[in-house]
Amino acid sequence: MSTVTGRQRLVQGLWPPRVSRAQLIVAVLLFGLGFGLAVQVASNSNSDSALRGARQEDLVRILDELDDRTQRLEDEKQGLQKQRDELENSSDQAEEARKQTAEKEKQLGILAGTVAAQGPGITMTIDDTKGTVEADMLLDAVQELRAAGAEAIQVNGVRVVANTYLTDSGKSVSVDGNKINAPYRFKVIGKPQDLEPALNIPGGVVQTLEKEQATVTVGRSSKIVVDALRAAKQPDYARSSSR
Amino acid sequence: MIAVLGLIVGVVAGILVRPEVPVVVEPYLPIAVVAALDAVFGGLRAMLDGIFDDKVFVVSFLSNVVVAALIVFLGDKLGVGAQLSTGVVVVLGIRIFSNAAAIRRHVFRA
Repeated sequence: MSTVTGRQRLVQGLWPPRVSRAQLIVAVLLFGLGFGLAVQVASNSNSDSALRGARQEDLVRILDELDDRTQRLEDEKQGLQKQRDELENSSDQAEEARKQTAEKEKQLGILAGTVAAQGPGITMTIDDTKGTVEADMLLDAVQELRAAGAEAIQVNGVRVVANTYLTDSGKSVSVDGNKINAPYRFKVIGKPQDLEPALNIPGGVVQTLEKEQATVTVGRSSKIVVDALRAAKQPDYARSSSR
Repeated sequence: MIAVLGLIVGVVAGILVRPEVPVVVEPYLPIAVVAALDAVFGGLRAMLDGIFDDKVFVVSFLSNVVVAALIVFLGDKLGVGAQLSTGVVVVLGIRIFSNAAAIRRHVFRA
């Protein structure tokens, strides 16, 4: 017994194969072990069975965690959607405000003379061969046109705006410091049916000018282009009081 | 030799057949396998020591499997299944290591 080592016993057990009761019983048990081992490994390595071997309490915990996570993600989604809606609304509003501002800028630009304008209106040509037409007569004409609803006026390439001034300058007239010579050609945008009678009323502009030996021709036109421009000027003192 | 053949045949059969593990048995199978491994290592050590007895092996094998499964079952019922099966695996692992050490000393004399 003491001469037989463990290694020798192992070799004896392995070879030669002997069919004994002990060997058979052990073989059956080992078969069961191998079978169970292979089955367990196979069922564990299936990717979809990650949850199969899990215990009920683990499954409940996993389910709870998933519920929590779903809830959190749902909340986050709602928040993000709300944010997106707000951004869309605000960009819409900004776009609308920008449009309105551009529209307003055009309207104000026509009044201030910074943009060209076109539309129906009249032309008036004052031919002054004798040099008798003075600044106040032209000013009267401008006032009369304004009163009749003129929206844009230019005379000999000078835009007439709110702060336009007319002065006598020798035989001719200066408009805003720009000397202009006869014939004075007015281009006026407005309603022709209002503008023309306003000039032609008895004792009005046309009659007064003709009394001074000037010839005046007034013509209606469906398309007048007022393209004389004036640089926008930032007021030195006045500031907008509206926000 | 027959025993080793039995193990190999079992593994091959398990791979080929791939049976669906019944849901009832599922939580106990891994623990049972570990327990059976413990019994096998114990048996191998006993054989190398020259004190192997087939009856003892059969009884220890079966009782190991049954007790391990029972402990897990009890743990599940008590609500500490996860911890208890971890404990069982740790204990069996320690035993397997000590048996493996004894076997190593026999086989390699070191």
